[in-house]
Amino acid sequence: MEIVKAVKLHKYFGKLHVLKGADFCANRGEIISVIGPSGSGKSTLLRLLNHLEIADRGSIRIDGQYIAKENAEGRSEYLSGKEVLKICSRLGMVFQGFNLFPHRSVIENLMEAPMMVAGLSKSVAAEKAEVLLGKVGLTDKRDAYPGQLSGGQQQRVAIARALAMDPEIMLFDEPTSALDPELIGEVLNVIKNLAAEDMTMIIVTHEMNFAREISDRVVFMDDGAIRATGTPDEILVNPDHPRIRAFLQKIVRA
Amino acid sequence: MDIDYLSDTIAYIAMGAGVTLKVFFVTLIFSIPLGIICALGKLNRAKALRGIPGALLRGILGGYTWIFRGTPLLLQLFFTYYGLGILSGGRIAFSPEMAAYLTFVFNYAAYFTEIFRGGIQSIGKGQYEAAKALGMNPWLTMKRIILPQAVKIILPPLGNESINLIKDTALCSVITVTEILRNANRVMSRDFNISALVIAAAIYLLMTFVVIQVFRRLEKRYAYYNIR
Repeated sequence: MEIVKAVKLHKYFGKLHVLKGADFCANRGEIISVIGPSGSGKSTLLRLLNHLEIADRGSIRIDGQYIAKENAEGRSEYLSGKEVLKICSRLGMVFQGFNLFPHRSVIENLMEAPMMVAGLSKSVAAEKAEVLLGKVGLTDKRDAYPGQLSGGQQQRVAIARALAMDPEIMLFDEPTSALDPELIGEVLNVIKNLAAEDMTMIIVTHEMNFAREISDRVVFMDDGAIRATGTPDEILVNPDHPRIRAFLQKIVRA
Repeated sequence: MDIDYLSDTIAYIAMGAGVTLKVFFVTLIFSIPLGIICALGKLNRAKALRGIPGALLRGILGGYTWIFRGTPLLLQLFFTYYGLGILSGGRIAFSPEMAAYLTFVFNYAAYFTEIFRGGIQSIGKGQYEAAKALGMNPWLTMKRIILPQAVKIILPPLGNESINLIKDTALCSVITVTEILRNANRVMSRDFNISALVIAAAIYLLMTFVVIQVFRRLEKRYAYYNIR
């Protein structure tokens, strides 16, 4: 059953046509890696699903509810900001640049939204935060500030922070691209553990081995649209699409 | 020059110091919130403020900060105290202190507007996105995530402005507000003796010293984290 469905998404940044009719869907519990050359629209697609960008054309549905619907002129028409925020709160997001709140300690980062948005009491939010910190292996950093952590630790906190809102879908926007090579493994391991929990996950990544290992399905994007989708083996091991082959060769060479 | 003369002079100027402090605190208490509101008005891109209403609001706020930052404070004091009375045919007549409060609040709020605007704008868009992705609405995001971080950035310029404010209060003497400098000046011209000026300088130094210490402490309190 489709929990995320986007149809014919178009997005312009000024004159730049970034998404050119991208269709995308994710089933409940599915783990999807989105790969493709830079500038192909991967991150934009992810950000449209979470309402961080506004689609110009096309429709977006989360668990059957439209947040954007195409009107008669073919323009995307959105629900009110409040309604969209509510629906999108079922999606958690992990950013390339972590975006932790620097003025709050690690545990406060995890407690902020559960208390302020979900209305949990301080003690319940703290308990939950402790559990999540244990899950990402950072219990001993609970009172540290983000600035005192390594990139890998910050990203693990960011994952825990997103999980604190009990999302049904997790979006990862190049979660390891800003990390030093030796810190990538710890973040990927946390994501792998999540994958074992049947969470729906959409991961934009350049880590091909990771994508191959973790994904139920791999989506290849190029030039603003989805050009191929299939099992990891179909897309990453024996691609019949020449553009995928060219892309993978470039990555291997680099 | 005897001890009695000195202590009388100090007491007289200290009376003026009370007035100076009143102008100082009234200005800070009202101009800081006003500055925050104007800064948010300038930065607001809410749906209701798109198009003409937003352009109008930003135009008004831009004109306000331009006029108050672009003309001398002394001129503004004259205008509020004398000018408004003349323009209104005597219907608007402020007491000297009220004229000083009004002028200082609007003048300093204009500077604070720009300081706060800069502080808020220096917070990266990733913070807004993270807050939104967690389901926080714009108001919560501003209150809990953006403004607390902006405070750290604006503290040094805010300290600067506060020191300026203490010294600017001396301008009130020209519209007959009996603050430190006016009292000191009267003693000096009466007795042809500059000890009153020295005392006034000492009081100003003491006040600015306290302000510097307060802001040093505040900055220390915000030193527990770094933005990036």
